[in-house]
Amino acid sequence: MNAYVTNIQRFSLNDGPGIRTTVFLQGCNLHCAWCHNPETLSARPVLMHYPSKCIGCGKCLEVCPNKAHKLAADGTHIIDRSLCTSCGACAASCYASALVMSSSPCSPSDVMKDVIQDKLYYDLSGGGVTVSGGEAALHPQFVIELARLCHEQGIKIACETSMSVPFARMEEMLRSMDLIMCDMKLADSPTHKRYTGTDNQMIFNNIGRTSKLGRPMIVRTPLIPGVTDSLDNLRSIASYISKMDNILYYELLNFNPLGSAKRIAMDAPDSFADAKSLSKDQLEAIREGLSDIDIAIRIS
Amino acid sequence: MSKIHFINEFDADRTFTYSERIALLRKRKVEQTEEKARCGGADEDDYGLIVQDEFDYKLKPSHPNGSIYGYRAWTDNYCSILRDHPIYVDALDAFSAKGFLFLERLRPKDKKWNPDYPYNELQAIFSKYQVISGIDNCHHFTPDLQIGLHIGWGGILKALESGKASHDESHSEFYDSEIEVVRSIIAFINRAGDEIEALACLEKNHQLSENLHQMARINHAISTEAPTTFRQAIAWSNWFSMLSRTYNRGSSGGQLEDLFNPFYERDVKAGLLSDDEAVFYLACMFLQDSRYWQLGGPDGDDNDKTCHLSYLALEAADKINIATNLTIRVHDKLDKSFFRKSVEYLFKNKQGWPRYSSDKALMEGFMRCGYSKDLARQRVAAGCHWMCIPGMEYTMNDTVKVNIAMVFQVAFDDMMDHEANPSSEILWDYFEKHLRIAVDATGDGIIHHLSYQTKTQPELILNLFQHGLIEKGVNITDGGANYYNMCVDAAGLAVAADSFAAVEQRIDIEHKITYAGLKAHLDANFEDKDGEYIRQMMLHSSRYGEGDSLGDKWAVRISRLWTADVRDQVARHADNPKHVNFIPGFFSWSNTILLGSILKATANGRKAGEPINHGANPNSGFRKDGAVTSLCNSIAAIQPGYGNTAPVQLEVDPQIANDPQGVDKMCAMILGIIESGNTLLNINIIDAKKILEANKDPFKYPDLVVRVTGFTAFFAMLSEKFRELVVDRVRSVNTDACE
Repeated sequence: MNAYVTNIQRFSLNDGPGIRTTVFLQGCNLHCAWCHNPETLSARPVLMHYPSKCIGCGKCLEVCPNKAHKLAADGTHIIDRSLCTSCGACAASCYASALVMSSSPCSPSDVMKDVIQDKLYYDLSGGGVTVSGGEAALHPQFVIELARLCHEQGIKIACETSMSVPFARMEEMLRSMDLIMCDMKLADSPTHKRYTGTDNQMIFNNIGRTSKLGRPMIVRTPLIPGVTDSLDNLRSIASYISKMDNILYYELLNFNPLGSAKRIAMDAPDSFADAKSLSKDQLEAIREGLSDIDIAIRIS
Repeated sequence: MSKIHFINEFDADRTFTYSERIALLRKRKVEQTEEKARCGGADEDDYGLIVQDEFDYKLKPSHPNGSIYGYRAWTDNYCSILRDHPIYVDALDAFSAKGFLFLERLRPKDKKWNPDYPYNELQAIFSKYQVISGIDNCHHFTPDLQIGLHIGWGGILKALESGKASHDESHSEFYDSEIEVVRSIIAFINRAGDEIEALACLEKNHQLSENLHQMARINHAISTEAPTTFRQAIAWSNWFSMLSRTYNRGSSGGQLEDLFNPFYERDVKAGLLSDDEAVFYLACMFLQDSRYWQLGGPDGDDNDKTCHLSYLALEAADKINIATNLTIRVHDKLDKSFFRKSVEYLFKNKQGWPRYSSDKALMEGFMRCGYSKDLARQRVAAGCHWMCIPGMEYTMNDTVKVNIAMVFQVAFDDMMDHEANPSSEILWDYFEKHLRIAVDATGDGIIHHLSYQTKTQPELILNLFQHGLIEKGVNITDGGANYYNMCVDAAGLAVAADSFAAVEQRIDIEHKITYAGLKAHLDANFEDKDGEYIRQMMLHSSRYGEGDSLGDKWAVRISRLWTADVRDQVARHADNPKHVNFIPGFFSWSNTILLGSILKATANGRKAGEPINHGANPNSGFRKDGAVTSLCNSIAAIQPGYGNTAPVQLEVDPQIANDPQGVDKMCAMILGIIESGNTLLNINIIDAKKILEANKDPFKYPDLVVRVTGFTAFFAMLSEKFRELVVDRVRSVNTDACE
C-alpha cells in the first residue's frame, strides 16, 4: 500500500526522543488555522509555488495540459489554481524547484530505504522513526506495515496523531507503536471547532481509550498565541491527562512560524502571518502556572 | 597599531582573581583581533600573532632573486630577527611569548623554491590538473616537545655540540647553523627576562609587579635549564611556539596530558599549585597561540588518558573562549563525563571547539600502512585535518592537494575530443587515465621536495625536536626523520562525483540532453540559450551526500581509485632510501576558493569560478532536509582508510541546544559519526541569523569564532569570500532560517 509522503526528515530532533527520522504523510481531517505544515492538509498533493526560485524558462507553460500557468505582462508568473489538477507535470519540468508538488506516493519499503540509513544513530540516542502528518491515523495500514518493517530491523517507531479518527479505525495502528504522541489543542470544544473545524469530543475520548493500551504517551499542545496559550486552557488539559498513568510528559510546543512561507507558496490565506513565538519569560510563566499539577512538563 | 607593553593600567592596590585576569585578557584579545581584522585580517589560524609597528624586519637576501636559500641564509636572518625582536609584555598575563612575524613570509611569494633545483616538467602537469604539489612548503609535521621539556635549550645545545664533535665536516653546515640558532634563542629568552624585570620595577600595581618579577625569573631559568614547574613548562612551551612560528610558522601542541600532567601533579603534590592557578596558566597558553592540542584518547594499554588536568584544560578554554583548537580523541574507554562535558562546552560557547577524532579509524588505518598499534596510538591531532607522531615523522601534512574536479574536467574534454559515442563509463576510463598522471606527478613532486628542500629551507627549529635527528646531524628531509609518511589529499570530490552522477542520470539514463549539448553549455558557462535551465537540471541531479544515491556511488568509486593510485606511489618509489610511504586523504583546507577560481563550469551545474566543495563534504543542497546524518554516512563511506583523514565538517543549528535532551542527542550523534567509520569531526554550532548579520557587518560580533576548515578563526578576521564559504555551509543545513 502506498501513501502520499510530503517529506522524510532525517536527523529530526523535535519529534520524540533521541535522533529520529520523521515521515510526514499527506492528508489531515483537522484544519488547524495555524498549521505549520499546511501543504499536508489536503488529501491529494498540492502544487507549491516559490517565485523567488523561478528562472523564467517557461517550461511550465509548455507542459501544463490545462493552461493553468500564465505570464502577466510584467513577467509575473501566475497560477490559476481553478484550472490546476495537481497533475505534477509542471513541477516535474521545473528543475529550479520554483514549482514543487507537496508529496509523492511511497510504499513503506520505499520509506525504509531512507529510515534504515540512520539506524546507528537511533540505537545510540534512543531514537527511531516518527510518523507524522497530516494525520498518520488516516493511513493506518501504511503505518502498521512501516512499523512491522521497523521492528524487523530493531527500530522503534512512534506516531504523532491528532486523535481525531474513530478509535476502531486506528486501534491496531496505535498498538503497533512503541510511543504515541498526540495533540490536545484546546479544552473548550466550541473553540476547538472554531479553529480546527471539528469539536474535541472524539479526541478526548480517544486519548482516554489510548491511555489504556499500555503504550507510553506524550501529550502535546502547540502554543498558538491568543488561541491555545492561555493558562486556563493548558491547565485544563494538564489536569485531564494527569490522571492517566502512562503519560511520559506533557509537551508544550512553542509557536512555529514556518507555516507562513508554505501558505504563501500555496496562495493560501494566513491568519497567523504576524504571530510570534512565545518569549522565554512567557514560557517560564506558563511553566510556573502549571507547576501545581502533578505531571511532568516539557517545553520545546 | 597595538601596543606591545601593557603596564600601569591599574591602581597600585587593586587585586585580581585569576578569573578576572582571564576576562581582562580576553577583552584585550578581542580588541586586538578587531584591530587585526581592520588591518586586513587573514584566512587562516590566528597564531596569536600581534599586529604592531615597533619592529619591521627587512630580509637579507642570499640570492639575486631577492629570496633566501639554505642553512646560512636562514640562520643569519633568523638570528638577526631574534637579536632585535621586541618583547611583548602584558602584566596581566602569565607569559610573554607573543610573536610579530614569520621569517618564511618575508620572502618574495613566487621565489620560495631554490631555482637551482627546477622541476619544469612536473610543473606543467601540476598546472594542467591544478595540483598543489607541496614543493617548497615547510613544517606541517609535529615536533616532540617532551625533548625540550626534559633537557631544555641548554641540553639541546649540548647535544648539538656533542653531535658536531662526533661527525666529520660534511655535517658542519647543519651543526654550525643549529648551534648558532640555539645560542640566539637562549640569548633572546634571557633578554626577555631582563626586559620583563625592568618593566616589573616600573609596574605600580603590587600584584602585577610581582607577576612580572616571577615571569622574569622563569625566563631566566628556562633560557637554558629544563622547566621544573607547571608554569615553567607552559612558559617553555609558549616560547618554543613563538620561536618556531617566527622562523617558519611551524608549531604544534601535542597530547596535552602527556606533556603537562607530570608537572601539574608534582606541583599540586608539593602544594605549589591550585586548580584555579592551573586553569589560569592553561588559559594564557591558549591565548598565546591557537596551536592544536589533543585531549583524552587511549594509552598503550588501551586505558583512557583523561585525567583531572583534561577537565581543567576544558575549563580554561571555556574561560578564555577564543579560537582554540582542541581535539578530543574518542575511543571505547573515553571518560564519559569528560566527553559529555566537552559537548556541553561546544553548546555553551558555540565557538567551534572542541572537535573529535576517532581513535579506531585512525589507528586501524595507520596500522594498514604497516605500523604497530603503539605507533598508531602516538599519532596525535596536530593540525587542521592531520595527525602526526611527535618527533618521529616527516609528513608534508595538508600541503599537497590534487583537484580531482579539474581531473574530471580534463577527462571530459579529452573524451569529447576523441570519442564518437561518449558515455559515463567511457568518461570514467578517461578519468582513470588522467588521475593516474596527476597522482604520479604528485608522487614525483614529493620526492623532488624531499631531495632538495634542505637547499631551500632547512627546518632549523623543528629539527631540534625529532628523536635521533641531532645525533644523525642532518635536516629532517635528508633522512633526519624516523618515518616518511607523506600526506596526499584530494580536493573537489563532491564536484567530481556529482558531475559523474549528473552525466549518468541526465544523459545516459534519462536522455534529457546529449554529451555534445552539455559540452556546449559548459563551454558557454551555462550563459547560452537554455543554459540556466540545463544548469538547474544538472544541479538537481542525484547528489553525493543524499544517501544511497548515484552521487554517493560515484563518490565511493572515485575514492577507491584515488586511494589505489596514491598507495601505488609506495611501490613506484620503493627504491628511495627514505622508505617513503604515501597516505591518501580528502581535504581542501581553504583552497576551495583558489581551486574553484580557475575551474570552468562543471557538469554538476557549478558555474565557472565558483568554489569547489569543502574537503570531503558534499556540495550545498545535497539533500532537501540537509540531514547531517546523511552527510556523515556519505563521508564515512569514502574514507581512504590508511590513517589520514577525510574530515566531516558539520554545521549544526543551535536550536538543538533548546532541547532538554540536546546534549545527549549531540553526544549520540558524535559517537554515531565516529562509530560509522569517520576519522575526524569538526563542528560549528552556529546561529544562522547571527552569522548572516555578522557576514553583513563582521564587527558587529568581533568575538564570534567559527571553525573554518580544520582551524577555528575569528569570523571578523576572514575575507569576504571566506566568510561566504562558512555562511554557505550554514545555509546548506539550515535553509529555513536563511530564507
